[in-house]
Amino acid sequence: MPSEVTEGKIARFSQSLTKLSEAPTYAKSRYQTDVYQEANRLLETEEGLEILFKYADRFDEAGVFQDGPWEDPSKLQPPLVAGSLQAKGLPYVIEMLSNLRMLAIAEGMEEHPTVSKEMAMDFLNEVMALNLDLLFPQATEASRIEKKENADEAQRLFQFISRYLSSSALSETLIHEIKRLTAQRPIMVKRTVSIIKMAKEMLKSNENDTQKEVLQQYVASIEGPSNLSHLYSQPNEYRKQLMNLSVEELQRESEILGRSMRNTGLCSPHHSVLARLLSRKSPELLPALLQLSGKGKANFEEHEELVHQLIKVALFPTTCQSVYGLALLLERGVLSASPVIPGLRRLIELDIRPEVRNALFKANEGEGLTANSILLAGVISVLGQPLGVGQGLNPTCQAARGISLWAQHAPGYLLEIIPRAARDGEIDMVFEGVNIYSKDLQGGLAPELHPELDPVSIVLVPHLDRIYSEMMTRVALRGEDGHRWVNPAFYGNWVQKGFSTVIEPITGNIADYPGFVRLFYATHHPEYNDEYELIYPNPVGIFITNVHGKMLGFHAVSIQRIAKCPKGNYRVYFYNPNNDGSQNWGQGIVSTVMGNGEYFGESSLPFDEFTSRLYAFHYNPYEQGDSYAVEQDSVAKVKTLAKESWGKEYKWISG
Amino acid sequence: MELDQLEMNQTLEESQPEGKTIPYLTALIGWSLPAIEACDKLKRPFVVVGPPDFKDYAEKHNITFVGWEFDRLNEGSDKLYKQLKALGAEVAVPLYEECVEWAGALNARFRQEPRLFNRSLLLRDKGMMKRKAQIAGIKVGVFEEARDKDDVKRFLKRVNEALLKVDGDKYDPIHCKPLDKAGSVGHRAIDNPADIEALTDNDFPLLMESHLDGQEFSCEVFVHKGQIQFLNITEYVKLGYSNFVPPSPTLESKRPVIRQAIEQLIEAFEIENGVIHPEYFIMPDGTLHFGEVAARVPGGHIFDLIERAYGFSAYEAQILCSDPNTTEEELRKFFPAEDEANGYAGCLMVHPHVTYIEELTIPDELEEHPFFEKHDMFTPPQGKVAERVGFGNHYGTIFFFGDDSAEMRRLLEYYEKYDFYL
Repeated sequence: MPSEVTEGKIARFSQSLTKLSEAPTYAKSRYQTDVYQEANRLLETEEGLEILFKYADRFDEAGVFQDGPWEDPSKLQPPLVAGSLQAKGLPYVIEMLSNLRMLAIAEGMEEHPTVSKEMAMDFLNEVMALNLDLLFPQATEASRIEKKENADEAQRLFQFISRYLSSSALSETLIHEIKRLTAQRPIMVKRTVSIIKMAKEMLKSNENDTQKEVLQQYVASIEGPSNLSHLYSQPNEYRKQLMNLSVEELQRESEILGRSMRNTGLCSPHHSVLARLLSRKSPELLPALLQLSGKGKANFEEHEELVHQLIKVALFPTTCQSVYGLALLLERGVLSASPVIPGLRRLIELDIRPEVRNALFKANEGEGLTANSILLAGVISVLGQPLGVGQGLNPTCQAARGISLWAQHAPGYLLEIIPRAARDGEIDMVFEGVNIYSKDLQGGLAPELHPELDPVSIVLVPHLDRIYSEMMTRVALRGEDGHRWVNPAFYGNWVQKGFSTVIEPITGNIADYPGFVRLFYATHHPEYNDEYELIYPNPVGIFITNVHGKMLGFHAVSIQRIAKCPKGNYRVYFYNPNNDGSQNWGQGIVSTVMGNGEYFGESSLPFDEFTSRLYAFHYNPYEQGDSYAVEQDSVAKVKTLAKESWGKEYKWISG
Repeated sequence: MELDQLEMNQTLEESQPEGKTIPYLTALIGWSLPAIEACDKLKRPFVVVGPPDFKDYAEKHNITFVGWEFDRLNEGSDKLYKQLKALGAEVAVPLYEECVEWAGALNARFRQEPRLFNRSLLLRDKGMMKRKAQIAGIKVGVFEEARDKDDVKRFLKRVNEALLKVDGDKYDPIHCKPLDKAGSVGHRAIDNPADIEALTDNDFPLLMESHLDGQEFSCEVFVHKGQIQFLNITEYVKLGYSNFVPPSPTLESKRPVIRQAIEQLIEAFEIENGVIHPEYFIMPDGTLHFGEVAARVPGGHIFDLIERAYGFSAYEAQILCSDPNTTEEELRKFFPAEDEANGYAGCLMVHPHVTYIEELTIPDELEEHPFFEKHDMFTPPQGKVAERVGFGNHYGTIFFFGDDSAEMRRLLEYYEKYDFYL
């Protein structure tokens, strides 16, 4: 219940702000509390934001944010805004004021030395795009039950700010966000879908036709790309309508749905309905729905019977994303690997353990499917989109990296361990001659797995996570980085035996960094490594740093390939098991997922920038090039980037 | 101070037209933003001697700063003295309990009066303090220092024997407190021999004393050259929770007696310059019992209340009085008359009545009361309530100001029981 705004409240705020601005710089903290208190009283009123905004250009000068985390607006990050707004008490008040300050800069009311009008506007646009659920609240049961702290106030703030933003700029941000997410072709599309659903709201107010069209396409891709599917959103009605179509009409319908799916990587329930119908009545049209290339078509024709079986068992309205997986699986020719077909057949009738069944149901609630269907659909997706595997909210990058690698190069092996886990409740691996059984192990990095994962990960990650941890424990005291031995044993013989790390394992110091950099160039950079190509993904360890270059921890990614980007510069293309691969690591190092020659699902960085975050990699000792040839300048640049970011946390001994 | 120096200083003062900066530094011992601000306002150049943690902050804001660990006993005071002397410091002002003997040591060197240091120690050892008061004929309770639990048991028994308690009677409490901690830190009342077992080796040595009846209040006395410049009396509503300035008419009427007691205290403790903060218990017949005395900024926001009630900055007053060179005239101009308060200023320190905070509720009738000035409470982001040390780390303060001491007392008592945190 908002309270009344009174002259008294305004006057008190104004006085507290004046007192603060008159205070000497060292004593601001004595007067800030009063400003926050009075601001909070105004924020409780309907008109409060408007009133506070009139003072917003004075906030910085008065010292409202001085000596706190909000002090420098150029260091603020849009993704953190929502969290502060939902925090209790003080962070909420300061975040509200900080956004008004940003709006004042964007509106030209305040000139800020480090943040331009445009930067402030971009910031606010991104905040809006990330918080559309607050800008356009949905009256769902879920949003009712999960009513967040300060939701009304935050909503008032966003609606207030949105009055000053152009809807086309906001749409632009949104479109970029959707493009960015779909470019990564993730298996789990929940976030993409929720953003598109909210973007739908933008369509109402947007005047810009081009944007409207783009947004409409995305909306259609998940809600029905053709007229017919748009008209009949319920799967059963759509099915009835399909029955009446002529072959030509079915052909056209298949083309439309197929193209939408291949453009965005997104499917609507209609995709499954159509696939099932075609499979039974007009199998010759399936290549049109899947938009298969020559290779994919050949693969389809060769294994048509199995494909029909897969469609029948696995593709339902709720598992519609696997229609896309199926298309790519055929394109990749995975079925031609001899163990794959029996491996897939085995899953159809597999006796899945009750706890695994429950876990699968839990992640796909209320779908009325069998656990086998869910699992098979998941396997289709993973085999079709190996780079779409994500770790979700779990610290299990190694396991995700393994699933992705096996899906790319060892589908037979993957189809071996899935039934082991789903049916037998364990996985075993041999490590240096000793069998390790996941059943006998406790703990791991994620004893409580967050369930927002693809079905294959749900089945495998708990076991893989424990085995990886156990292997690392067994080598912990060897005085060298354990990944040297664990990675080849865990991922398989695709991992090269040569290994180099930047941290001295016993002292924890950094020694001979230039040597490390040169070795990486000499083994990976095409200009220095005698042009040996990378054949299998290389699991490497990187330092994760935040936008300010501060070290946050370690992370596991896989180098997929090293190649020249369209602009002619060498880039490292890599698989990042984080669901969102475009990340800002500070110092201008921003990994991209599109626009620099990335394949779907890849992230990329310029070679030197990637090297600057590397801490361990494998290499083939027989394929070393000329480390001495690496330019001194390149090494020096990498070293500076390293030393001024994660390097601050370490002692540098020499070099 | 030697004569020639005194003359030098006087000539310096004479040659300084009013308002000009004084050419020596004041050393603020302890970290306190209001004290720094006060020194700044007085246009006195200063140096802050504070915990090393504040170095970065001081540098960022161009504050001359010397980092010092007050709780580590060391032989380095000479180094500190030389460092400050080199900077041009001549007066040390203690801000916190732990800084009092450091300021004493420094002032002893600045003025070449070694006994200044001993006097400051008197304020830092509660056993010594009581003994000194008793020798001077000031009324104190029965007290003893204890080195172990047996001492405490014996003392509790003998005090209650003297009170003619027989078996089965409820014991009168005795009070135990560490010898050198501020205010109520580590204080406990014990009326049951079983409670003594809860004491640990770290609690010893401690001071024990018999319970004193009567209304408790404190004084903030600004002293210059041994003379009371301003006597503030703070009425306690509930010790550690609420107090107000000036006191209600009943207590105010005792001001002459109180002033006499303070004069006796100043003489006994040979206090010359600065602020003292003694606590007394007053009986209905006007008899005063001396509790203890400190020479630092008092807790309970009392300095803020003085400023609100009388309109002068108590921090500035402390700095002025700490400097023997401050002139009679400056002081006369600075302090108002003790009976010229603008109203009653009170505050309530809120401490949650729960162990886990869900939310904060501020009732409308509080915010709308004409006496309500402001509060500084926000819902803490972390719900768990910290354990209380002394009367410190309260979760927020509510400030009141009004013209009726009875209403002030009623508000403070009422809201003391109110659940602001749920």
